[in-house]
Amino acid sequence: MRYMFKFPDIGEGLEEGKIIQWYVENGQSISSGDPLVKMETDKVVTDIPSPKTGVIVQRFGNVGDTIHVGSALVEIEMEGIAGAEAIAEARTEIPAAHKEVVEEKGFGVVGTIEVAGDGAYLPSSGEGLGAAPMPTAAPAPIPHTPSDSLPSSVKVLATPVARAIAKELGIQIQQVKGSGPAGRITRKDIEQYHSSKAYLSTAPSTPASPQTEQAERLTIKPLSMIRKTIARNMIRSKQNAAHMSVMDEVEVSALVEGRARLNQSLQEKGIKLSYLPFVVKAVAMALKNHPDLNAELDLEGDRVIYKNYYNIGIAVDTEDGLVVPVIRDADKKSLLRIATELAEISVKARERKLTTADMKDGSFTITSFGSIGGYFAVPVINYPQVGILGVGKLTQKPVVAGNEIKIGNLLPISMSVDHRMVDGGEVGRFLNEVLAYLQDPLLLMVNLGGEN
Amino acid sequence: MFDLQTLDKYKPIDDKMYQVMDKDGKVIIKNWKTGLSEDDLVQAYKDLLFERTADQMAISYQRQGRMFTYPPNLGQEAIHIASGKVIKAEDWLVPAFRELGAWLAKGVSLWEIFLYFKGHEDGSKFLNAARMLPVSVPIASQLLHAVGLAYAMKYKGEEAAVFGYVGDGGTSEGDFHEALNFAAVWDVPVVFVVQNNQFAISVPLKMQTRSKNLALKGLAYDVDSVLVDGNDFLAMHDVLAFAREHVLKKKRPFLIEARTYRRGAHTTSDDPTKYRSKEEEEHWAELDPAARLQSYLVSKKLWDPKDEEALIAGYKKFIDSEFDKAEAYPDYKLEDVFGFMYQEMPVELKRQMNNYQNFMNLEGAQK
Repeated sequence: MRYMFKFPDIGEGLEEGKIIQWYVENGQSISSGDPLVKMETDKVVTDIPSPKTGVIVQRFGNVGDTIHVGSALVEIEMEGIAGAEAIAEARTEIPAAHKEVVEEKGFGVVGTIEVAGDGAYLPSSGEGLGAAPMPTAAPAPIPHTPSDSLPSSVKVLATPVARAIAKELGIQIQQVKGSGPAGRITRKDIEQYHSSKAYLSTAPSTPASPQTEQAERLTIKPLSMIRKTIARNMIRSKQNAAHMSVMDEVEVSALVEGRARLNQSLQEKGIKLSYLPFVVKAVAMALKNHPDLNAELDLEGDRVIYKNYYNIGIAVDTEDGLVVPVIRDADKKSLLRIATELAEISVKARERKLTTADMKDGSFTITSFGSIGGYFAVPVINYPQVGILGVGKLTQKPVVAGNEIKIGNLLPISMSVDHRMVDGGEVGRFLNEVLAYLQDPLLLMVNLGGEN
Repeated sequence: MFDLQTLDKYKPIDDKMYQVMDKDGKVIIKNWKTGLSEDDLVQAYKDLLFERTADQMAISYQRQGRMFTYPPNLGQEAIHIASGKVIKAEDWLVPAFRELGAWLAKGVSLWEIFLYFKGHEDGSKFLNAARMLPVSVPIASQLLHAVGLAYAMKYKGEEAAVFGYVGDGGTSEGDFHEALNFAAVWDVPVVFVVQNNQFAISVPLKMQTRSKNLALKGLAYDVDSVLVDGNDFLAMHDVLAFAREHVLKKKRPFLIEARTYRRGAHTTSDDPTKYRSKEEEEHWAELDPAARLQSYLVSKKLWDPKDEEALIAGYKKFIDSEFDKAEAYPDYKLEDVFGFMYQEMPVELKRQMNNYQNFMNLEGAQK
């Protein structure tokens, strides 16, 4: 006998989850309680165990796919009943009948009716986004703008008369923003939409224009959880902070030379220092003299929250998107320790193994975009932090030394700060100190202090 | 053994915690003796393993979509198992919601507990357990019921105690303070057991109180109180057994702060990695109550860890069969909503029920 296991609501009111990892293959035997799949939801990232003992006939969905609560996850041929037959069948094509099951929508307690208006969508808080760059994210509303990316099968709330008029005018009702209760689309909304002719630019206006034509010109993919979070955080930063940027370049021949020497002696330990640990250290040391940049502005509370720790977030580029794990107490750690931790977090980031604990409580952020490319940049502040420092590509350039032109090693530094909290003078002084450390790394040694 | 002299030595004001074994299960009190037989000790460990296995499987059932929100017990079992050994049939057990092992000891069937977390109120009938209240979700409200029960027992002249459970978060509620005050004013035999698992969902203890411990709070109401290592089964049993005797002899309430750590999530809807560090979790994992009791039993040559695997495999079979029972239990009827409101159904309710039945006959039939 076959059992269709549907994605359950495992967190009080979930609508969907994303497949992170499959633990089973088609045709594989499984006992009840064994893990089937790892799912990421708004609330938790968790393994889903099998409810039955038997053989996996068919998995539904690939890694990265979003599965609605109540939609099929796996089909299991239950133990003792035609097990061998199931295995044989599992290795062939999916029978058409099962495809229908996948497409089945909107059952289960939660259902999948989409609402059309902004206000009617109750966003979850920042909870549960395991890989979010800023786990402290406040519950910013998710802009839920209907666009032509909505498939026509999405259900919307609308009055019958609104549906009739929309059909008559050749308007795709999914495009219209509802103003009624719970975002219900009313006759007025359709009429307004029609007179604004907004639909002309976003969607085929006549029913004659076939969906297939559009499908060829566009590829529509669902937004990943991590992309959603990044988008939300970027908007939050740009809307709240008064961004100001400053750029400079620093001659780092001494550092280049020093690093090369260090790497030679570290070779047998199998460690290779990049420039980043030096920057992390320099920033942490400089922050100690410039507390305003290691703080958080609480405008509503009429206060400033100074952080008495120096946790430096490191922007790491991954296939899924940007994540910002944190080097804790960077002021107290040796360059070697920082280098080791940097290596660890970037591996973890790429393998998607970062936990929220790895990413929380950053007090300042560094982005070393130059390792990929780019000289100067205008980084976006990792809000609610006050500053972010970007390191561009180390480049050889002519520099004037004394009255001569020499080949210099120039490291470009770009910084953005929240001008609500700090002024240009303070930023300049901070930057001068960072640059001084990078120009003369011995200075860094002098001020190193702290433990290991 | 814990007695009046011991109580005097462990003053909450000095923040001293009663502890019998260290983290490796070694007894650290000179000339200490347990009030339990060797068989009792072994059984206690088996009960703990059973609670832990049932708890893990409950989480698995929930993740399979076969049960609703569930609060895991991992890390707090010593408190529950020790309670189970002390609480007598004539005593009342007034639970919060995270005392699985104590409920089982009281006689509640596992399938009933599963049924409850599947959202069926019959799961609170406790067919084989006398004198236990249902789970209380409104935090700390149950302690007032505990005091009321004790007052009734006093009035009737019954020789029994009430065990009321609450978490550290519950001590921030008014109900906790009202209950302590009335218990003291009325001189009633309630043992308040505060399971201090360090977090009220995500709020750490230090954000809930300025007191250095929670046992201190009892003193303000003139309630004898003691702080005890809740991950130390032997210490927990000593204190609970003493507390029962004490409240019966003195006709006064008693408060126990059992310091422990919730190693799992608050509930299946919670992700604790958001509010606590791995280091902290690892620190508490080393103080795990099961490992400590096991080490103690092994050192006394009462237990061989080799036996555990087969034992747990047997438990799993039984637990699955209990869950099957819960799943086979008939759904409740929606008509019940109407049926139990009044002895005789008023006209308005009758109309609503008819509407509902008509709806079900027409549209519901297509379901």
